[in-house]
Amino acid sequence: MKVVPPKLPVKKSLTLLLALFILAGLAPRRPVLAQIASVLTADDKSDDTLPRKTQGASPFRIETLPVGRDAQLLTVFGNLDGLKSEGAPDREVPLVSILRDTLGDENPENDRLRYVWMLTYTRPTALQRFASAVPFLYGRVGDKKRASVKGVPPPVLDLADPKRDVWQRFMWLALQNVVFNPYGTAVKASAGALRHNNERYRQAHILRALAILSLYEAETGAESAFTPAESAEIQARLMLTSKTFGGLIDDSYLDEVLRRQTTEQLDARGHNWELLRQRAETEGLYFEPLEMPGGSVTHALVWVTREDLQKHNGRKFGSRFLNIASPWDDSRLARWDGYTETRYLDASGRTVAEGTEGARKVELIPLALYGLDFPKIPTLLVDFRDHLNPKKREMSHRVIEDVARNVLSLSRYGDIHYFLGRTVFDFVTSRRGIDVNQPTRLRAYSQLKLLLSLDATLDRGLRDEIGKHIESVSLNPLENDLEAEASLARQQYAALVAASKKSDGLSLKLDRDRREEMVPLEHGSTGRVLLRFANVLSFGVYKHRETAAPETVRQTLDAERRLAYHKRFLQEVAKSTPVVEVVWNVEDVRRSLRYVAEAGERGDAGAARAAAKIFAQTKDAETRRLCLDCLYRINNEAAKSALLRVYQSPELGPELRRLTAEYLRNALREEQRIAPEDAKAIIAAIGQ
Amino acid sequence: MLAGLLLGLFFSLHVTAFATSAKRLVIVKVDGLPFDTVDRFVRLRDPRTGKSLLPWLDHVFYQGGTRLANFYVRGMSLSGPSWSLLDTGQHLQIKGNVEFDRYTLHPYDYLNFIPFWVANVGGVRVDMPGPELLDEVGIPLLADAYPYDERFLSFQLYQRGTRWTTLQRGLQNKFERAPGELFDEWQLGIGGRNILNTQQERELEDKLQDPKVRYLDFYTGDFDHAAHHNRDAVTQLAALRELDALVGRVWTAIQRTPTASDTALVVVSDHGTNTDERIYSQGYNLVKLLASAVGGGHHVVTKRRLLNAYALKGIYPLIPLIYTTTDDSFYLKGQSTTYPTALVDFDGNERASIQLRDSDLNLIHILLQQLKRNDLPAPLRSAATDALFDTINRRRAGWQQTVSEMKDELGALHHLIERQRAVVEAQPKKWTKEDSDTGRDREARRQFARLDSWSSDEREYTVYLQSLAGLLALDRSRFNPSEVNIEALIPKGAMGDHNSIYALQNYVAGPAPTGLALKPDGSLDFERSFVRVNYFSLLGDISVRNNVQPGVEAHPVDFVAVRLPIEATGGAFGKDEIPDEVIWLYGGRDRQALILAREEGGRLMLRYLPIANLAQDARGRVSFNRAAWHAGLPLKLWEDASLNTPSGEAREGWLGGWHTDLEWLRATHLTKYSNAVVGLHEQLARHIVEGTDADAPRLSDDERCMRRFRARQRVLVESDLLLLANDHWNFDVRGSNPGGNHGSFFRISTHSTLMLAGGEHTRIPRGLVVEEPYDSLSLMPTLLALTGQIEDGTRPVPVLWRQGFRSFPGRVVRELFEETDTTAPVADTINRPEAKP
Repeated sequence: MKVVPPKLPVKKSLTLLLALFILAGLAPRRPVLAQIASVLTADDKSDDTLPRKTQGASPFRIETLPVGRDAQLLTVFGNLDGLKSEGAPDREVPLVSILRDTLGDENPENDRLRYVWMLTYTRPTALQRFASAVPFLYGRVGDKKRASVKGVPPPVLDLADPKRDVWQRFMWLALQNVVFNPYGTAVKASAGALRHNNERYRQAHILRALAILSLYEAETGAESAFTPAESAEIQARLMLTSKTFGGLIDDSYLDEVLRRQTTEQLDARGHNWELLRQRAETEGLYFEPLEMPGGSVTHALVWVTREDLQKHNGRKFGSRFLNIASPWDDSRLARWDGYTETRYLDASGRTVAEGTEGARKVELIPLALYGLDFPKIPTLLVDFRDHLNPKKREMSHRVIEDVARNVLSLSRYGDIHYFLGRTVFDFVTSRRGIDVNQPTRLRAYSQLKLLLSLDATLDRGLRDEIGKHIESVSLNPLENDLEAEASLARQQYAALVAASKKSDGLSLKLDRDRREEMVPLEHGSTGRVLLRFANVLSFGVYKHRETAAPETVRQTLDAERRLAYHKRFLQEVAKSTPVVEVVWNVEDVRRSLRYVAEAGERGDAGAARAAAKIFAQTKDAETRRLCLDCLYRINNEAAKSALLRVYQSPELGPELRRLTAEYLRNALREEQRIAPEDAKAIIAAIGQ
Repeated sequence: MLAGLLLGLFFSLHVTAFATSAKRLVIVKVDGLPFDTVDRFVRLRDPRTGKSLLPWLDHVFYQGGTRLANFYVRGMSLSGPSWSLLDTGQHLQIKGNVEFDRYTLHPYDYLNFIPFWVANVGGVRVDMPGPELLDEVGIPLLADAYPYDERFLSFQLYQRGTRWTTLQRGLQNKFERAPGELFDEWQLGIGGRNILNTQQERELEDKLQDPKVRYLDFYTGDFDHAAHHNRDAVTQLAALRELDALVGRVWTAIQRTPTASDTALVVVSDHGTNTDERIYSQGYNLVKLLASAVGGGHHVVTKRRLLNAYALKGIYPLIPLIYTTTDDSFYLKGQSTTYPTALVDFDGNERASIQLRDSDLNLIHILLQQLKRNDLPAPLRSAATDALFDTINRRRAGWQQTVSEMKDELGALHHLIERQRAVVEAQPKKWTKEDSDTGRDREARRQFARLDSWSSDEREYTVYLQSLAGLLALDRSRFNPSEVNIEALIPKGAMGDHNSIYALQNYVAGPAPTGLALKPDGSLDFERSFVRVNYFSLLGDISVRNNVQPGVEAHPVDFVAVRLPIEATGGAFGKDEIPDEVIWLYGGRDRQALILAREEGGRLMLRYLPIANLAQDARGRVSFNRAAWHAGLPLKLWEDASLNTPSGEAREGWLGGWHTDLEWLRATHLTKYSNAVVGLHEQLARHIVEGTDADAPRLSDDERCMRRFRARQRVLVESDLLLLANDHWNFDVRGSNPGGNHGSFFRISTHSTLMLAGGEHTRIPRGLVVEEPYDSLSLMPTLLALTGQIEDGTRPVPVLWRQGFRSFPGRVVRELFEETDTTAPVADTINRPEAKP
């Protein structure tokens, strides 16, 4: 066991205090600038501020609210028909909001997406916060009834600064190991529990936001309020929050991330659907897929008929992948008085209407509900006979981790025996698909909650039964139940709407973000590293922002964002095809080249490389000329080096050779940045 | 005389037509690429660019080349057999991705690369099992038409040799990149497949710069992999876009070579894929069925591990024979590895090939076990002994013939081994770089591989023959059951001979639970003494309770296909009906058909005969009732609105007649089962080639024996039962393939891709879409015609003839060679011009 050196009491107290301060700060933060919007305090009143739902079959619609004169708040509303009780009012609920910084124009090239709010994600109550720090407390402690209406609700992600997540994660780790762990098991376990619960609470809401946005995209298609690039960015960035270094991945990979993750998810879903169907078939049970509004099947129920219970009494049962007890010798089922459904099946086993000729009446008893979006196996979410069964499975990984880390002080990286044992155990459980020690089923639960909320076709009794079970399965004291979440979402949206109307609300926040965005334009890489250090060392309290007039900021960012947009486009073009005009609309390429050329000085080596590559990959004379123009006007060594290589190319036609020579000559004359050896080569080749 | 002259003139004109040749061939081989999917996405526009979603395929083949709108697999839509047709242009010799030799259980696993790589490192194998087998029966591959140093072959099913440097350089290139890029890729997941494909593409582009290299190919299985796993269009489009980009890079690389105008680029696929965005493909576990008591209680051998991804042993890459042991075995409990009784290959997975142990071997085995019991009453003992020797005597002639013929064959093989040993010993031990560059070192290792393979054949068959000889040597008069060693008499790990239809309808699966029983006359009562299974009704009647997808039936099995021995059908056919080959399709008691085949004037003629209640009696005589055409017959031709009979011919009249394979193809290719009548014949008929033709003149005894031996080996891998899955069903038990599958004769699975484009000297028409249907047999003669290596549309040029190439049964795609005055698009009455996009 590792021995922790004793520390001075004062030092110890100070670090503990500091740590607690940081801990408090890492839970969803309170707004810095709080303004009470009196009109939004009550549910009824907040309802008045919400837009009315439009007609249509889709359970989603989007609403766009202006934020100041140069940003938009886009909110996805959902019809939570699944929550509707008899005689209840309209249950349209705001679900996800996203802040789009437009810089006040219609041009999407300079837009930037900022915050994503999953409106059910809220700051916990004091009791929830306390409970979340209690080690080995794997359960809920009640709901938050009323969200704060002061200021801006906590976002789940800042799309403009995804790296922050990574640094924060590492800071947490450092804090845990350096500050908390030395204080002994209780503090270590408490801090660990708090961190895990916070992370999982946020992750659960990120997953739900992701599910909502992907459903929204599937429902709206080309009519979506987001451009395809924005949609990919939002979804990919949300997906990447589950990866340790996900926030560091370059924007150019976001499409690929989205595609791969979506493919993997659909792959897992299909395999689980089929695995569960086959297992149910083999064991003589009934399999029923449950559809999300978009048509995707994310969950499935397994039933048994009362008739079969009598017929197959004592039959051998294989629980592999089903992970439930045998129904064939279960006395609880023999006297089952819980939820049942009566259906009529035709000769081929299809459900038909009552009275259909030849139809057979069956009474079905639900046995279990499974999530299909889980890696490798259908994951048990509800066992209708044993509500602790899925909870025990979900807890298994957490308990093993907590006991090893907090009680036994074992670390994979500090104990070779534990490392080997754990690696083998993890491999066996994962490979065999044993539903113990598996990754968390947060996604499946989040989706199930969404399914229950959105799907009005599920029988009320069954929905209530499922709802009761999933709430009891939750391991996280920070979680709230479905009804509470709907109410919190309304309140938080109302707060967001209020903040969007205040000059010191979202607009101010946006202004600060823009000034932060200016930092790379004003400071070199060394300066930026130092500023980042300052930010880390002050535990996030100090954050450097440039001071400039809002109009200056807007103009500067407009130019920079558009340059970044065109550069990214050119890089994509250059990377995607050996002949540009076969794949791309040449006029689009020319437009981007023109913009980069006009930006001249501000162009960087990446833009130069893209232009040089496009020059080599097109036969279009105008495009080639524009590439040369870019290379001339971008004032850096990479551009001039590329221009020189073009000039030296034997395949270059006389006209372009003349133009290239002229550009190189001018570059020398204008004393542009040229590598010494290139300068010599230029002089040797074309003179001064 | 005049007709002869005209015929000569006709052929000479075609020689001239085909002589407009490409000098270089680049083939992109795409596994499982359905033409309809390609066509759909090529026609869709990308809103971002205004271009096709597959811009390169559009540019190269749709605008600048020729595509075949109706190109089909001939035979099963399964990679192993299908690529063999495409790569050889000859009728099927390889009938599955996996084949098992019934006598030895030797598996031919044509798909598994890893054992091949291991054997290659060990120096015991040079080629993948596919080319090895084709070498044995004397069928060369298209790539063999080019000398070693004039061809570049990628990693593929019919791969000759392997290049270890590809993997090494692939890894080097993958990691010699900017750290930022590497980091991002690491986060996304670095795939081994991607490393290999990227490096192969790089090498192909390098080789294009070498003017000496005239044949290059690139194989990719990425689309097939994606479509098996995912049914969604986004995933499949992503895989297609990668292919599209690859085509763009290869095409551009070709254009940068000095020989661009003489180079033809071909994209070809081996089959389509039955995938539907709304439906998950459902699996049915045949292994479990066969292992169950109702299925016969078989210990089952497969070459794929069941639920491989969930098995700890699944990480072992060499995949030996997988034995699935059953507790329901009636008489072989605990003997699964010694006495498996069923072999299943389900690759594809819309079909499965099942081989069951000879029912008579089961009977003998059971009787011997019973006779060894001390508690068997004397009358039963006597009756059982009689039954045992009756069974042996009933089979004696056939088994004796097998023993006798195979002794001769193994003798000839032994002579061959001796000669081969001398050849191997004469090989140099060290090789120069020049040897390596010209492939001489590989050829030497190939000689050793042959020796190794033949020696193993000799060893394994000898063991089987010894058991069989022991069984034949049993003497009733000296028979003492207590002294009998069953394992010495019943060949271990062998299925024995094929089961007859009678045996499959009355399969002896075990002793009856009540034990042996006597008839009143004191003989053994076969009905009451044994558990019997009728596999046709068993398989045809399978039904599932969970029927949750519209469009998917509750019955996983569509129909069962078996080859009927022609001698058993004597008298069943009228004078004008007598066929050379008969295939029986069983879809239910009253949903059956025969496919009759015969040769007339060098042409294959086929006929579909609706029947019911086919049965074979114990004496071997087959009987059936003729049935009228009705809906629900196997292949559902009668009710298919897309059946295209020649104009003026009534459906019933046409369907009832004999037609050539081409006529069947033209009439049926748009139906749900497309060219299944032709395909079933291709799959189940025996196709004699030079290497298996023991009746050829002027052969030495050894040569004759060896040819008979090779033919016997091909017969020994044939299935007892070929199961075809219903629409959206599959038999995969290795995992599950919910995205889609293939292997059946459904049009969606057999409709494949063939597109060609080339430089101006290749004269491949631009913007042409060929509507005339063609099948896999057309690829090889067409490519040889394109490269000027075929003389009259069927006969290879002399230099190829000397290398073992023989006349090709397939048709050249003539539309490619028809001269027109116009530039693109080109069309005639059959082909429709493609509208400009």
